[in-house]
Amino acid sequence: MEILLKGKNISKDYKMGEVTVHALKNANFEIYDGEFIVVLGPSGSGKSTLLNIIGGMDKPTSGELFYENMPLHNADERSLTQYRRDAVGFVFQFYNLIPNLTAQENINLSVEIAKNPLKVEDVLKEIDLYDRKNHFPSQLSGGQQQRVAIARAIAKNPKILLCDEPTGALDLATGIQVLKLLKRFNEVHKKTVIIITHNTEISQIAHRVFYIIDGKIEKIKENPTPVSPEEVNW
Amino acid sequence: MLFRKMLRDLKENKTAYAACIIVIAIGLMVFTSMSMVIEDFERAINDFYTNQNFGEGFANIIGMPLSEIKRLEKIEGIEAIQGRLIKDVRLYAPDKEENIYLRLVSVFPNEAYPINDVYLMEGKPLNDNENNLWLDVRFFDTNNINIGDLIEIIAEGKRVPFTVMGKGQSPDFAYALRTPQDFYPSPETFGIAYVPYDIMTSLFSEKNIVNEISFTLKANANYEDVENILEAKLKPYGLQSIYPREDQTSHLLLNSELDGLKSVSDSIPFLFLLISSIILYIMIKRLVEQQRGQIGTLKAFGYTNLEILFHYSSYALIIGFLGGLIGSVSGILLTSPMLDIYNEFFNLPNLVPSFSFKYLFYGIVLTMVFSLVAGYQGAKGILKLHPAQAMRPPTPPIGKNIVLEKAKLIWSSLNTQGRMAARNIARNKSRSFFTFLGIMFTFSMMAFIGSFQDLIDLMIYDQFEKIQTADLKMTFSAPVSSKEVYRLLAHEEGIKKVEPMLEAPATLKNNWHKKDLVVLGLEKNSILYNIIDSKGVKIYPPDEGIILSEPAAKALDASIGSSIILESIWLEDNNNPITVQVVDIIPQYFGMNAYMNNKQLSKIFKQQPMATSVLLSLDEDKFESIKDKYNNSPIISSMEEKQKIIDKYNNLLGSYSAIIWILGVFVIITGFAIVYNSSIISLSERKRELASLRVLGMTLNEVLEVISFEQWTISFFGIIAGIPMAYSMMKTISKSMSTDLFTIPASLEKSALIIAFVGTVISVLIAQISTSKRIKNLDLVDVLKERET
Repeated sequence: MEILLKGKNISKDYKMGEVTVHALKNANFEIYDGEFIVVLGPSGSGKSTLLNIIGGMDKPTSGELFYENMPLHNADERSLTQYRRDAVGFVFQFYNLIPNLTAQENINLSVEIAKNPLKVEDVLKEIDLYDRKNHFPSQLSGGQQQRVAIARAIAKNPKILLCDEPTGALDLATGIQVLKLLKRFNEVHKKTVIIITHNTEISQIAHRVFYIIDGKIEKIKENPTPVSPEEVNW
Repeated sequence: MLFRKMLRDLKENKTAYAACIIVIAIGLMVFTSMSMVIEDFERAINDFYTNQNFGEGFANIIGMPLSEIKRLEKIEGIEAIQGRLIKDVRLYAPDKEENIYLRLVSVFPNEAYPINDVYLMEGKPLNDNENNLWLDVRFFDTNNINIGDLIEIIAEGKRVPFTVMGKGQSPDFAYALRTPQDFYPSPETFGIAYVPYDIMTSLFSEKNIVNEISFTLKANANYEDVENILEAKLKPYGLQSIYPREDQTSHLLLNSELDGLKSVSDSIPFLFLLISSIILYIMIKRLVEQQRGQIGTLKAFGYTNLEILFHYSSYALIIGFLGGLIGSVSGILLTSPMLDIYNEFFNLPNLVPSFSFKYLFYGIVLTMVFSLVAGYQGAKGILKLHPAQAMRPPTPPIGKNIVLEKAKLIWSSLNTQGRMAARNIARNKSRSFFTFLGIMFTFSMMAFIGSFQDLIDLMIYDQFEKIQTADLKMTFSAPVSSKEVYRLLAHEEGIKKVEPMLEAPATLKNNWHKKDLVVLGLEKNSILYNIIDSKGVKIYPPDEGIILSEPAAKALDASIGSSIILESIWLEDNNNPITVQVVDIIPQYFGMNAYMNNKQLSKIFKQQPMATSVLLSLDEDKFESIKDKYNNSPIISSMEEKQKIIDKYNNLLGSYSAIIWILGVFVIITGFAIVYNSSIISLSERKRELASLRVLGMTLNEVLEVISFEQWTISFFGIIAGIPMAYSMMKTISKSMSTDLFTIPASLEKSALIIAFVGTVISVLIAQISTSKRIKNLDLVDVLKERET
């Protein structure tokens, strides 16, 4: 498999008043095209920081990060925006849908700026919300909102899908549905999916699992037999 | 998609944005209508002046043979010069309650390109063979006169019939006033009649003379040089005054009206646009803060800063566009009725509305620029946000003690709501400041508008209740002896008081300052014309010395004790001018006079006390009979009734009042828009805090108190600051509107301040009622459940 993302000694420090917080310390990793990765760690371990850096939403304090040979660590705001626009799709814990746009319109929002988007109708059918496409976020349940958020992210047809605690706000059954969608995107569309979570069980569906503790990638474990979300032992 | 998001966001806060649109629209309406009126006005004036060859210099003389005029043409710098005979006569109209006056102006029917040419709008040319005349348009129309009608004028005591040949207008009487005190034209009782010279001169005892000279200048000629030469040449003929076009009454008034319009159109729209920009700025800034999470999401998708910035600026743009469009279109629609009002006062042919897209375009561009700047300023915070940072809730504001807390006594007297409000004001300095500005604007505009209205009322009240208290003023055709006046009138039944008055044309000089005005010679104990000093105390004409009105003193740069030189055509020898000392300076709103004791003034002219007019106090029941008795007397040239003048003013002010009240309503709307928007923002920022208070068990009113306390505090300071602001507005307007004919004092009236206070309080209250409805509708559970963004 081709290397999609490569991180070398990535560190990230935040200044919080007079205190410097070392959110990420010397992270080294390679992520391959078409992989399903789960980043696992407790709250405050640096998972989101890693995700933000991988997603081009933040820049490392030191170290190097490459996306298909393009350096992201020293890219300017413009190139990072272009990178996010073309290569990355985001799914957040709290969905972050635009409240006064309907489900379909929320999806359209990302389609409008994408180079090679999927068809909105197809995506809506894929998430099984075609008949609710004209509903506003407030008229949808949490699970449905998250499905729209996923649809919005995949409709751009990005190479990488980054998901920050995508099931964090959902009950078990809804969470499984959401994970199935993500898995499907990985398998059917052959896209890289990276999920960060503190929920260890989810790691069972991944090809590889990154364990982060206190800002460090403690270990990277291969999972030779990933299971489907329904088969996870919750 | 973002466009749809914007429309829905706008819809959500429609009242706030609509208020903003209204404020912009008001500004633009004033801008567009005024600009178009000014343009039409200027065009009409310029065309009229050029086409009718309006004079560039004028001189009034007692009398000069017509044949002498030709010789003046040789003066260097003069392009053309012409003499006219101008006489005021009465129209014989026994069925009319009021006297009607006509100013006869001679014309030469065969002159090819006369100065001050009459623009004939309807009718036939004049001829030298019969008694025929043209009437000015306004007089003709107002009095329902038809071409071919016969009218009778009273010239030197004789009734003379004239045929009306047509209606027309000359540029020198575009704004036709009988006396400068008239303040505005009244075509019911005064008009201009254009009469062939030969016919006119035959009516009066002095034959073949002219008493007015007008001239035009060569391209490179200097008016001052021409004036100096002409002055010397005209002196032997009793030169009364010589002045350039700028000082010509009609032109002066047209120009001051135009200047007034310009100053309004330069300032008012910008004030409104500024206010609306401030509102927009606050709203967009708040929106951006509120939608921080959404902005983060958009950035995470790969939306560029520019796209997001454009999205948020476009809120302001669309508001600006809508406000601009509504304002410009209504401004265009308003032009025609506004010009109709001007047509009532000014006789300008072709003062018609001309439609142009120019101002529609200007207006929209102007508002869009203002709005774009406001929107960009409000939204530029986006640029600073990194997407990851935007996704996180903002750093909570630092909660430190505010200055007020050091004032223990005040602080401890505040309840919890008061303390919350006080801290909130201190922590949101810029928003508090903008609200403060808005309140200051609302209050000062209202105080200014109200004061203006009160002042005009007061000016008229003072003039006719305190100063000119005579019931009737009769002006004589020629000066008569004061003794004679007494002898004639004092014993007449129904006349309670007789006071002869001398109105002497004079030139006052102080160093290089010079002013032409009328010196009023009053009886020593005059009670029918009172001189009131700046403290409101009545003073009497001094035995020696002169009292100056404030505008005259200003024009002469004279102060009490100054020795000024008095020149007059009535002096036997002007080479030996008289020096008089200024003993007092008094306020005068209408006209610009100086006052002396009649005896002293007559003595200066080496005469026994004389009078040019007489002031009368009459028994009410004898009023009409006395008026009728003297109406047709050849020695009386005109009569002025106090009550008629007051009625005219009140009539005029009635229409002003309407305009002023409409402006007042606009200002209240603006005040409302500002306070309402600031409350809505406060509310959305503090939904959670207020909902918590509600959950704790506070009543709706107690919760509202937090926001209202904040607003009342800001309003208090806004109102205080509005007082000097209103005063400076008044001062500016008084400076720009005061002319030789009237002076608007720059003072604020208490009653206006009270009205402005009440008006401001009403705007704040209306806004608070709307806010309280919103608080009432807060879904407590939802608000508290919401994730903080």
